[in-house]
Amino acid sequence: MIATLVKKDFLTNLVAPRFVIGFVLCLVLIPFSILINISSFRERTAQYRIDRDAAEKAATEVRVFSVLRPEIVLPPEPLGVFGKGVSDQVGNRVRIGLGDKPLLAAGKTAAGDNPLLASFFSVDFVDIAAIVFSLLALLFSYDAFSREKEDGTLKLQMSNSLSRSTVLTGKMLGILTTLLPVLVFSFVLSALLILFSSDVSFSAGDWGRIILLFAASLVYLAVFVFIGLLVSTRSKSSVTSLVVCLFLWVLLVFIIPVVAANFAESFVGVASRDNLDRVLRDLDKERDEAIRQAYKAQGIPEGWSCWWCSSDEDGFMETYGNDRDEFESFRRRAAVSEPIRLDYADRKWAPAKAYLDSLARQARAADRLSFASPAGLFRAVASAVCRTDLAAHERHMDRARQYRETFVRWLRGKDIFESYRWITPADPLTFRTKDELVEKRTGGEFKSVREFEVWASKQTDARTRWTKLSEFKVPGDSPDDFPYLDVSDMPRFEGQAGTILSGLESSVLWVGFLLIEAVLLFYVGYIAFIRYDVR
Amino acid sequence: MFRTILRRELLHNLYSLRFLISLALLLAVFAAGAVSFVRSQAASLEKYRDTRGQYLENMRSLAGESATELAVRRQTFSLKPRANAFISDAKERYLPNAIVFSAWNVFSFQNKSGSANPFLKKFDELSWTFITALIVSFIALLFTFDAVSGEKESKTLALTLANPVPRGTLLLGKFASAVVSVMAIVLAGVLTSLVIVVALGPEGISTALAGEVFGYLAVTGLLAGTFAAFGLLASVVARSSNVSLLAALSFWLVFAAVIPNSSTFVAKGLYPIDSSETVQKNVTAAFDDLNKNAPPGSWMMNSGNPFLPQHELRANLQTKRLAAEKGIRDAHYRAMFRQFERTRLLTALSPVSLFEYLSEAVAGGGYLRFRKAWTDMHVYQEQFLDFFKALDAADKGSPHWFNPSENVSTTRKPVAFEKVPQFEERPLSFADRVGPALKYLLFNIFVLSAVYFLAFILFVRYDVR
Repeated sequence: MIATLVKKDFLTNLVAPRFVIGFVLCLVLIPFSILINISSFRERTAQYRIDRDAAEKAATEVRVFSVLRPEIVLPPEPLGVFGKGVSDQVGNRVRIGLGDKPLLAAGKTAAGDNPLLASFFSVDFVDIAAIVFSLLALLFSYDAFSREKEDGTLKLQMSNSLSRSTVLTGKMLGILTTLLPVLVFSFVLSALLILFSSDVSFSAGDWGRIILLFAASLVYLAVFVFIGLLVSTRSKSSVTSLVVCLFLWVLLVFIIPVVAANFAESFVGVASRDNLDRVLRDLDKERDEAIRQAYKAQGIPEGWSCWWCSSDEDGFMETYGNDRDEFESFRRRAAVSEPIRLDYADRKWAPAKAYLDSLARQARAADRLSFASPAGLFRAVASAVCRTDLAAHERHMDRARQYRETFVRWLRGKDIFESYRWITPADPLTFRTKDELVEKRTGGEFKSVREFEVWASKQTDARTRWTKLSEFKVPGDSPDDFPYLDVSDMPRFEGQAGTILSGLESSVLWVGFLLIEAVLLFYVGYIAFIRYDVR
Repeated sequence: MFRTILRRELLHNLYSLRFLISLALLLAVFAAGAVSFVRSQAASLEKYRDTRGQYLENMRSLAGESATELAVRRQTFSLKPRANAFISDAKERYLPNAIVFSAWNVFSFQNKSGSANPFLKKFDELSWTFITALIVSFIALLFTFDAVSGEKESKTLALTLANPVPRGTLLLGKFASAVVSVMAIVLAGVLTSLVIVVALGPEGISTALAGEVFGYLAVTGLLAGTFAAFGLLASVVARSSNVSLLAALSFWLVFAAVIPNSSTFVAKGLYPIDSSETVQKNVTAAFDDLNKNAPPGSWMMNSGNPFLPQHELRANLQTKRLAAEKGIRDAHYRAMFRQFERTRLLTALSPVSLFEYLSEAVAGGGYLRFRKAWTDMHVYQEQFLDFFKALDAADKGSPHWFNPSENVSTTRKPVAFEKVPQFEERPLSFADRVGPALKYLLFNIFVLSAVYFLAFILFVRYDVR
């Protein structure tokens, strides 16, 4: 009996203009959203290749260990073509430093090369699906009973020996079977676009996740069908139920998520970034002071004069062509300062983490508040399925921080801070005294520093001092005399090989919520329909 | 005649369920938006005061060191959170809100980290503009989609037209009543929001606000009119109200959800700009070139003696470097602005985007505000430089070799901070607001008239039986 009812509803729906229009709407908007995101994926992949090559180059073309700072560049997530979540606003590059643990990822965001474009939003499959599927579900269910009542066919139907639950189930299944092809077509079309695109390729696991996304969409669709049925059983006329349904749609799909984000922003504050920067700056000052004290305690001279050196933040120090004592001072300074720098990185992490947590707390609060609407639940599930939600990003960042620990352990394991190789690739056996250096550089014209200084003090132009010393090239005086460092044993950052279900623990709960919502709505609808006056 | 029709239509709207629901929804959202604004405005003002205090403190201490130090160091000027952001936030959260400058150049703009939480998916502020763009457009459609087809179904249309009622008047009556009903709801919402903001807000109301509220109501009227016209069009293209509803909803989806949110995709393809890597490469190449051609000794430093001859060489070199970098970067910025403005023009296909740009102009915020601050900052920077040069000219102990990035070869005397000219952001004047918005305004009026005219033609040909 139900089959007859389902068939009847299916056929009635199929010939209705709303089916055609709804179908066309889906067939236009959904491929459009996929195409937009394939194009942005292509852009991000190109950028990723540039960044990755640059990082690779920077990590291999170093001559001393103090300059070695690996940079992790995360590839764009192919599933982001369906739902980009927060992936296009959090950055994908993490630089591993000694003085800090990675805080936020850097890298271009969706705006690309023009930061002004960040003020334009962009839609993806999940957004369009949340909007269009819910609309279709409501459009097919709002007049399920009220229209038939107006036409008088409901009375006729009920005069047969039919239980109301059969009628309701028939209606529900009829609408779902009408919408199922739309849903399937939308997914198949998107899948085809992905298959035919040379820019994106999905793994088997990715396709599995798309099937999960399909399942979530189906539940989402069902929730809205039940909402429509419920409204339909509670209203006198189909016009009333239409108006109510449309307002519910705008409220649930468009307004509640925005209100949720706004309220989260207003009522769940985040720590001030300026303040964090100040705290970190103060800690840096404290660290530099601690390093200075340690130099003093060990009697290491603080100032230096070098033949060729390049220094920078975070303990960068690369130097060539110095005399033996100067090299020794450089080595001892690094041996003291770098462990202190690492200690302070741990101390700086506490306030940084507090700041990060406050950002995450606000974002989570917005998510939770948006769960008041099925659209909020659906979006959260979808971005978890697409591995583009905040949790996925946090997993990446956690692994980046673990990688930093591994990297630091590797450095420590080499006793590298105490080694000359931290600051220069030159072999300690080739180090010379000051006098030897002067002699070599002037081609034997001066035998000692003293002699040279006596001569130099007589020169009027200060520059002659340097031109004199540059007359003869001494091997080991400049970086070009040395090959790049062999860092083949450096630990590499491993990409995550997640299973098809990884990271979906909380999504199961949220889909559970959606299902419970669906069941509740169906039950309430059922009760309402039992009490419905069909005349 | 028109009045009778208008009265009838108005009463019809007024008693309808959709009016009640719209009113309730709009009041709730306006109130929620106002409360949220009051809270977040207080927080952002606090952060702003902190940032501003540091900025002034930093400048004061630099002025205490020396005038040169003050002139050479880069400062970051932050824009103040706008007091009337509840009218239109104009996506300022995602736009540049800080400008980096020194006396020598306006270097760059940035979106200061902390203004938007990167973990929170981009969202619209619940400002009047957002509420209007989304809900008012929707309500306007809802009031009109079945104006003709619905009456045809209930057979009253044929009855009405059996009287000597011109079709044009009837359509105009329906149009006017929809706009008036929608505006009544908006007015209620606006008043609610104003009461909350004024009562709880951190800042009082200014006289300018009254003008801005009126301006907002005017452009909202335009939006409501445009969508009412679209609704009427949907109503006369279809024989049944069901189909006209679908047509109206399709209009709305495309205008409110699709066009405004897919523009960057098109814009990046149509109006490409150099990547930041290319720009950086060009700058480095220009620097290398200048360094290569610089006279020997240009890079010799000795901060002790200001009159060291090499300082003059280096001052010249640094000046040339600055000019070269400025040329490249400013061209890139101009390309960015052009790309952004063209992207906007693309989205102007949608009346919702048109409305957003118009209300941005009304509130004097967003991109217009940033561009004005950016332009004004360039004017200020010239003044600042003149001020510094005058100070330097008065100092006998300075060699007057102007170096835009070092502090060695110009005056080393401190300067009283109070005398230093300060950059103050000025609100946009009327002309500043109308000028850029005029094309959008005219286009919107054109769209409204064209759609209404089309609806009129179709209605004249409409089979009312």
